[in-house]
Amino acid sequence: MATIEVQRQILPILESPNKGARFYNPELPQSEPFVPGHRTCAGCGPSIQYRMTSKAAGDNTILVGPTGCMYVANSSYLCTPYNVPWAHTQIGSSGSFTAGVSAAYEAMIRKGKWQGKFPNIICEAGDGSSSDIALASISGALYRNHDCLIICYDNEQYANTGIQASSRTPYGGMTTFSPPGPEVPEGKKLYPKDLARMMAAGHPHCYVGTASVGYPIDLMNKVRKGLNHKGAAFLMIYTPCQKGFVYETPRSIDLGRLVVECGLYPMWEWSPEKREYDYSFRPASMRPVSEYLKLQGRFGHLHAEHVANLQKFANRQWKMMGIQIPEALLLAEDAKNVTNMAAAAEAQAVAETV
Amino acid sequence: MPVMEATKRMVRINGCVASAQAAKYADVDVIAAYPIRPYTATMMALAQMVANGELDAEYIVADSEHSQLSIAHGAASAGARVFTGSSGVGVQFAYELYSPISGSRMPVQMMIADRTLDPPGDFGSEHTDALSTRDMGWLMGWSCDAQEAFDNHLIAYRIGEDRRVLLPQMVCQDGFFVSHITGDVELPDMGQVREFLPPYKHPYPLDPRHPVSHGPQIMPEQGPPLQLERARAMEESMAVVEQAHEEFAQIFGRKYDPWLEEYKTDDAEVVFFLQGAHAVTAKFAIQHMRERGIKVGMVRLRTIRPYPTEQVRESLSKFKVVGVIETNMALGSVSSGGALYAEAAAALYEADKHPLVMSFMAGMGGEAIVLKEFYWMTEKMIEAQKRGKIEKRTHWVGFEH
Ligand SMILES: Cc1ncc(C[n+]2csc(CCOP(=O)(O)OP(=O)(O)O)c2C)c(N)n1
Ligand code: SF4
Ligand SMILES: [Mg+2]
Repeated sequence: MATIEVQRQILPILESPNKGARFYNPELPQSEPFVPGHRTCAGCGPSIQYRMTSKAAGDNTILVGPTGCMYVANSSYLCTPYNVPWAHTQIGSSGSFTAGVSAAYEAMIRKGKWQGKFPNIICEAGDGSSSDIALASISGALYRNHDCLIICYDNEQYANTGIQASSRTPYGGMTTFSPPGPEVPEGKKLYPKDLARMMAAGHPHCYVGTASVGYPIDLMNKVRKGLNHKGAAFLMIYTPCQKGFVYETPRSIDLGRLVVECGLYPMWEWSPEKREYDYSFRPASMRPVSEYLKLQGRFGHLHAEHVANLQKFANRQWKMMGIQIPEALLLAEDAKNVTNMAAAAEAQAVAETV
Repeated sequence: MPVMEATKRMVRINGCVASAQAAKYADVDVIAAYPIRPYTATMMALAQMVANGELDAEYIVADSEHSQLSIAHGAASAGARVFTGSSGVGVQFAYELYSPISGSRMPVQMMIADRTLDPPGDFGSEHTDALSTRDMGWLMGWSCDAQEAFDNHLIAYRIGEDRRVLLPQMVCQDGFFVSHITGDVELPDMGQVREFLPPYKHPYPLDPRHPVSHGPQIMPEQGPPLQLERARAMEESMAVVEQAHEEFAQIFGRKYDPWLEEYKTDDAEVVFFLQGAHAVTAKFAIQHMRERGIKVGMVRLRTIRPYPTEQVRESLSKFKVVGVIETNMALGSVSSGGALYAEAAAALYEADKHPLVMSFMAGMGGEAIVLKEFYWMTEKMIEAQKRGKIEKRTHWVGFEH
């Protein structure tokens, strides 16, 4: 059988990856595959991420949107923010639908039914989709190594259904399914599923990484690395949600940096070639978790012991990355050295805003 | 032999392999597989064809039936011709996807070799698996042997991919009775297939050169016009179904009535009304009973979606008694038996003459319906004819005397 060789795109890596949000980079592409006109909340982290990701990918791109805020609040019939082809899929179909698109292009190009370079195929799945209902679907796509990039835009909860706990919701995070009360003062008792590491460990032939909207150039470069990798790639990206986290809307990017500086969102890449983690990313400073927590109403109910637990969790992440922990952060593991976040009455007031 | 060079020949294959052959002749681009008996044999055959280089397709071993159907949805949305399939509980594991696929008007094709639903696990054939999806906007029909299965796949692609239709298709066959019983199948000349089935081209695929958005969120008032379009596509597919069967007969020389196969109905007073493989045994039973002077016949429903309401009314109103052989369960339904009764009775509602209609729960669990059961059901129909009324609407065959 005569077959045509599939040609793939290579996107250049941007310089100065680590200069933070307010850094203007003239290399940034002009194209805007994701345009204004959608209905997401002010300061919505996932949609800020959406713009960065699609900008990095460019116009020869197809987007897949499983159910979640980035479907419901973005797309409205007869008015679409996507300048490239986009399709909704079911919340449990993130990996599988994307795999189908990718497989179709492999076959159609090879059989001469479509001419052109293989498109970037990107799935924008929420954390509820990625860590729960579509976990097997995404694992299947990664395992089979379809040429595509699957992004978990991690707003640490099921946002679109009105803020419910997902497997990515942090310990102590208040959601409508994990409310604090006298019997359960911390709200969410479980620690988050280590989704990105599961994906790296289980699919070592894939490019896997974590990113945050706090570091746009780094984020866009990871998107490009994932797209340039021939085969499947997975990125888990921190994207704060003001509705669920309860913070002042201009602070989305600040939170995106603080979460990394507090050690609650380790930034790394898994190299499928070297088969090892790259932990070389360094935030500008290291801070106690309370600096991140205190900006958000969802943590307003935490007692000193819960904050200390989160500090222990963060310190374990620093340790995992081989980073030496300053003494102040070790001391903060002891509840005696931490103050309560809020009185119960204030927690109740915050709960009512969710 | 690569399919591109295939010339017409006879082979002896079972229904599963016939389905795989049809997918090969249709030159499908993407195949999504997941194992469950009995349809698995179709995917096994396709895997081998791909391994042998007889078919150039992406063969994807999915992680579940939900993923199979999602892969199929994604691939069809990108513009590929797609083939998938399942049986029994597998059909139901994928349930969420049936409406999105037909609603986005993607002519995905799915082969079903029927299997009973759990509990408990049973390999036998019952049509409940596919029938439970019957109102999801998929074209649907049953074949009764391997040749018809082969033909139905090609015909279904032709109908579903027609721009006037653009709907997915469930091409069903009874587990084991068709899927695993060999029969003589004529494989066509590739030229015939090319003439009958043009290359697939969806009008609005996900193509970066012509960006489109598929399936955006809608406001409540925007839903009904879209639902209406899907309903119209199903209604209007009736003309396309007829045209496709006509052209199939011209090109391949095998003529099927698209809706109903009638057997010895000319002077029949009582008839069986059924779908699928038990029609083969029914014909034998009818021949035997005819020798004894009993005026019995058979009407086999070949296409259940779209439902041929007029054709069923016209056909069934000719008889005194209609015995619906269900081979499916619709618990607590109007007959408290199967799903076929309700639609047949509804189709007859506007008829001038009304036959008595009864429902036979036969072939359940994948049991063969043996000759003496056909005789027993015929007796029940004749008794009702004599009485002029139905005393018992639903009979579980084999559990009564
Ligand atoms: C099968 C199914 N179950 C549940 C839902 C309801 N649902 C709609 S959006 C959503 C939240 C998704 O959460 P996530 O993936 O984290 O995305 P986010 O809303 O946070 O952006 C859920 C559960 C659904 N659409 N489909
Ligand atoms: S609820 Fe959260 S994720 Fe959803 S649109 Fe608003 S800010 Fe974005
Ligand atoms: Mg979420």
